[in-house]
Amino acid sequence: MKIFVIDNNINGLLSALFISFTEKIVPDFVVDKSVYQGRLDCLAIDILTDISHAERVKTALYKYGGDDIISHLKVCLLSCDKNALTIAFNYAHLMLKRRQDICDMLSEKAVSDFSFLLQKVLHERHIVLGFLRFEQSAKGVMYAKYVPDNDITELVAPHFLKRLGRTPFIIHDGKRNKIAISNGQKLEIRHTDLPANFVPSENEVEFNLLWKKYFQSISIKERRNTAQQDRYFPRRYRKYCFETWE
Amino acid sequence: MLDLKRLEILSDGAKYDVSCSSSGSKRKNVGGIGNACFSGICHSFTQDGRCVSLLKILMSNDCIYDCKYCVNRASNQTPRATAEPREICELVIEFYKRNYIEGLFLSSAVLKNPNYTMEKLFETVKLLRTEYHFNGYIHLKGIPFADKLLIERAGFFVDRMSFNIELPSEKSLSLLAPQKSKKGIIEPMKMLALDKYYDNPLKLNRRKDFLPAGQTTQMIVGASPESDAEILKLTEFMYRTYKLKRVYYSNYVPTNFNTSLLPYSQAPLIREHRLYQADWLLRFYGFSANEITDNSGNLSTEFDPKCAWALKNLGLFPVEINSAPFEMLIRVPGIGVKSAMRIVNARKHAKLDFEHLKRLRVVLKRAVHFITCSGKFIGTKNEYSIKSLLIGAELSQNEQLSMFNSSSASLSALTGEL
Repeated sequence: MKIFVIDNNINGLLSALFISFTEKIVPDFVVDKSVYQGRLDCLAIDILTDISHAERVKTALYKYGGDDIISHLKVCLLSCDKNALTIAFNYAHLMLKRRQDICDMLSEKAVSDFSFLLQKVLHERHIVLGFLRFEQSAKGVMYAKYVPDNDITELVAPHFLKRLGRTPFIIHDGKRNKIAISNGQKLEIRHTDLPANFVPSENEVEFNLLWKKYFQSISIKERRNTAQQDRYFPRRYRKYCFETWE
Repeated sequence: MLDLKRLEILSDGAKYDVSCSSSGSKRKNVGGIGNACFSGICHSFTQDGRCVSLLKILMSNDCIYDCKYCVNRASNQTPRATAEPREICELVIEFYKRNYIEGLFLSSAVLKNPNYTMEKLFETVKLLRTEYHFNGYIHLKGIPFADKLLIERAGFFVDRMSFNIELPSEKSLSLLAPQKSKKGIIEPMKMLALDKYYDNPLKLNRRKDFLPAGQTTQMIVGASPESDAEILKLTEFMYRTYKLKRVYYSNYVPTNFNTSLLPYSQAPLIREHRLYQADWLLRFYGFSANEITDNSGNLSTEFDPKCAWALKNLGLFPVEINSAPFEMLIRVPGIGVKSAMRIVNARKHAKLDFEHLKRLRVVLKRAVHFITCSGKFIGTKNEYSIKSLLIGAELSQNEQLSMFNSSSASLSALTGEL
């Protein structure tokens, strides 16, 4: 069994594709260098990221897969699925092998796996756009903490940059210690080990109460259906949606 | 700022308005706060399983009308409250900044007279757009009999507007809401459709700055004796004539026990559910109202409308996945528009078999009885066997069953027969 051990980023993936075609090696798995633990029954091939190789592969992928192919591969790499790198690799490999756009060939396993992984990440992004809750700090900065399954902070933050206008905000992924900071004009994504030193504004409690009251009174008691609520609003996303707390 | 008590009264009065959708508009943020997401975004789900996307609130629940079915009717002894336009605007902005909501759904009881109420509603949405620079989603409920100009002008400030048709027939409307009339509701709907489509609903050109998310309506189901067929024919007519984006059905919940004109109990929720499924078939699957209702004029409660249609027309099945036209594929129970599109795209490149369909995430549980893959059929052809298998599939779809969920169980509960 052959394993490609790569840097977990788009250039790492593209470099692996370059090596695969030039050396004529098709790996069974592609794994992240930072978490890989060697196995005795596998031949691990360490792939060094090479930007010039990556650029050549990128040009070919754009030619066959259109303008969105690289951004789709990037989204796939944000997935928490342990096979995400292999799935992205297999898809791009098949595209380069066939020299045509393969996104419709869903009867191919590589294509259907990629397509559904992509959908899964984008679906989580979509629901998080609604379930994120901001609090206003005493200094007027909006702060939201969340713990998504996938590493979607960079997909979520631009939505709020457009939406909140000049209001500064911070989105904090509590699982990965990743934050998106906006000063109302520019967005920056970075890692942080600092604990959130958040002081809410004076009227924050009042708005929390108003929202909670609204949430309770808008529900029709005679039509209680918590099974449906659970289906659409998984409990793991309610950690920061205080209106649902008992 | 709106206080807790008034917020409770005004949102409690608005909860029977079904629509909470924030889709259909691409409004951009131009130097203010907010924008609209075309697909709409749900921000929470309440205990009744409904989504919360907009701040659904009444401007006032102090109504001069006395519609029998309505919780805000003049004769009902209920706490009354009214909010000022600025109070609503401030609440919207603060909620929006915290990402609690996608925008505002503003409605009102008829306070003093229709024009006064419409003026207040108009003032609120104008303030939000011009002074608070709010570019989020606004759905405004129109007031029947209000001045035409007021309604038209409001259309340039909001994303969606709706006039509730209230009940499925003119007769029921005159009986249960004598102060309202068909003309008062239909005329503004017609006018908005003509405004949107440059005086001709058949034209494809439409004003982008006027009601970008179009108009919708709502009717109560189960308060009056109309059949599902009558409701669906009316729906079909409104989609065709007024270019409505959605028709909502609100299952009747008793709020008035002092009249013999209304039923004392709530209509079964399955009826509302089946109407929504049928509505979906009218809008996206090319079905007509006549095709999906049975001889009694109602929808089957046992099977979803598409399944019921397929069982009535077993002679048209099975269809071959590799050659059936798209229009036929979407008529197969278990195959939706997305699955059908995937099949049509995938079969250009390879001949599909059942394994491929699983890979395409097509739900085969129901579909197997109605399709062949490369000539292979793995379902059952006997009508009775299909029916029992489909009932099983439908029940297993419900994650949590109530004790009397199936029709046979409900009947058994009534008669005591086991």
